[in-house]
Amino acid sequence: MSFISLIVKNPFRNKTRSILAVIGIAIGIATIVALGIVTDGLKSSTEDTLKAGGSDFTVMESNISDMLFSSIDEGYVDKIMETDGVEDAVGVLTAVQPIGDNPYFIIIGIDPAKLYLSEMEITSGSAFSSEDAKELIMGKIAAENLNKTVGDSLTLNNTDYKIVGIYQTGNLQQDGGVFMSLDNAQEIQGEEGKVTMIYVKIEKDANVEQITQSIEDKYGNDLTTVASLEDLQSVDQGLSVIDTASWAISLLAIVIGGVGVINTMIMSVYERTREIGVLKAVGWKNRRILSMILGESVVLTLFAGVVGIVMGVVAIQVILAMGMSGIIEPVYSLDVFLRGFLVALIVGLVGGFYPAYRASNLPPTEALRYE
Amino acid sequence: MNEENIVEIKDLRKSFDKGKVTALNGIDLEIKKGEFVSITGPSGSGKSTLLNMIGALDRSDEGFINVAGYDLTLKNDLSEFRSREIGFIFQLHNLIPNLSVLENVEIPLFERNLSGKEMRERALKLLEYMGLSDKVNRKPTELSGGERQRVAIARALANEPSIILADEPTGSLDSKNGQLILEHLKELHEKEKVTLIMVTHDMNVASLANRTIEVLDGRIKT
Repeated sequence: MSFISLIVKNPFRNKTRSILAVIGIAIGIATIVALGIVTDGLKSSTEDTLKAGGSDFTVMESNISDMLFSSIDEGYVDKIMETDGVEDAVGVLTAVQPIGDNPYFIIIGIDPAKLYLSEMEITSGSAFSSEDAKELIMGKIAAENLNKTVGDSLTLNNTDYKIVGIYQTGNLQQDGGVFMSLDNAQEIQGEEGKVTMIYVKIEKDANVEQITQSIEDKYGNDLTTVASLEDLQSVDQGLSVIDTASWAISLLAIVIGGVGVINTMIMSVYERTREIGVLKAVGWKNRRILSMILGESVVLTLFAGVVGIVMGVVAIQVILAMGMSGIIEPVYSLDVFLRGFLVALIVGLVGGFYPAYRASNLPPTEALRYE
Repeated sequence: MNEENIVEIKDLRKSFDKGKVTALNGIDLEIKKGEFVSITGPSGSGKSTLLNMIGALDRSDEGFINVAGYDLTLKNDLSEFRSREIGFIFQLHNLIPNLSVLENVEIPLFERNLSGKEMRERALKLLEYMGLSDKVNRKPTELSGGERQRVAIARALANEPSIILADEPTGSLDSKNGQLILEHLKELHEKEKVTLIMVTHDMNVASLANRTIEVLDGRIKT
């Protein structure tokens, strides 16, 4: 028998208590994993939106708490176009409208002539023809969810818009909504002359940093540039809040899980006091006893980590099956699973240390007398 | 220290409860290598405390104690001493319930840097010696009281100690199983020439030893 196999065997001596402890920790890990999968999906989707049409950076209103709240004068599109190194720029109006069960149905308004910049694939029908036509094209996911096809119409703000095409971009937010002319979108939102953001494509050999700096220098009071997700997180508090909440929940899971592990391991040490006395009597060093109890704690929490990760993934699948597939785009990254394991490991080490220290320092005669 | 002696104790004192309870009150004792000594005395006389001192499970307040060449009043970490020199047999077998008989005997060998194969071979040999070859994969709960105590003896022998300390080894057994255990201990002492120190309150059991020491009120009765 190896020392490792002894450590693996011991935590499951009292199966009921161990399973309850595992469930308690696993729920925390499942929350972290599920939240991580959703957050990563949101980040990935947002990053796709920022880079829509292969744009090199995005311009939005400065001093806003969320990118959806951005509102800038359409006239800035031409001003940005005039900046040295800029190859093309397009203003888009992004808004949400309640449609059916979905309160966050995405509407994207764009100049029909610049629609090609969105790198979308029209899978059926065609693109909308002009600024004035009451037409739109619908994302594949939205079409499936709303059971719409080419030739049907969609009512937005009491106006019927004909669906002239179905598209696919691979971006959940875009594929779950519609594209229409900028004029129509502005009319629906009552935002005439306004756009949410401007996608900018630069010339082949131009330097992104120089151009963004130049725009910030000129229009810094009204505009800000976002070239990466990190840039966005510094201006968009929504993503920062989600990130902070994710870490806060992780911390809470560590604290709650840690207390659960301390309780479980202390009970285990109490029950095995005589046994620990015997181990000391046969010559075990204090550090071996400490390693054993700490190891048992880590085995318990890593097992809970595996259970928690499975629970987290299952929870996401259940949520998707309940009709949230058009809203949540899960991203199963290794990073999220490693975070789950890391939290499990920390809980095991933090929660197991005191009971392990206590066991290793028990006086042998007292331990052997324990009833 | 006399080379023939494996235990030398001079004026050993130990009290508990902040000095209110005196357990050992000036013990002087010498035990030769290979001796079989029984320690008797009424409850609370200090005989188990004396055994714990010899086995380095507890520390003295005053006096000198040298066991197998180790000055137990000086060393801080006595786990290596216990691992190399001492084999304990308790009144209750104190086996680990979720481990097999074989694994219980392997437990003391973790501190000896042996391979898994070496540990297994040594444990199997000891269990064969104790007549338990057919029980190696059983859990302690599947054994009789006598068999459990024989496993405990095998565990005590695992590290090839120079001294076996037995604290009422037959105390929880019926007379038949108790007799069997005593025969094993006697055989062990005679064949392996191991020093055997046994605490007992039973004078019949004590009479099996080469020498009997009686402890009374924390002193050796002369």
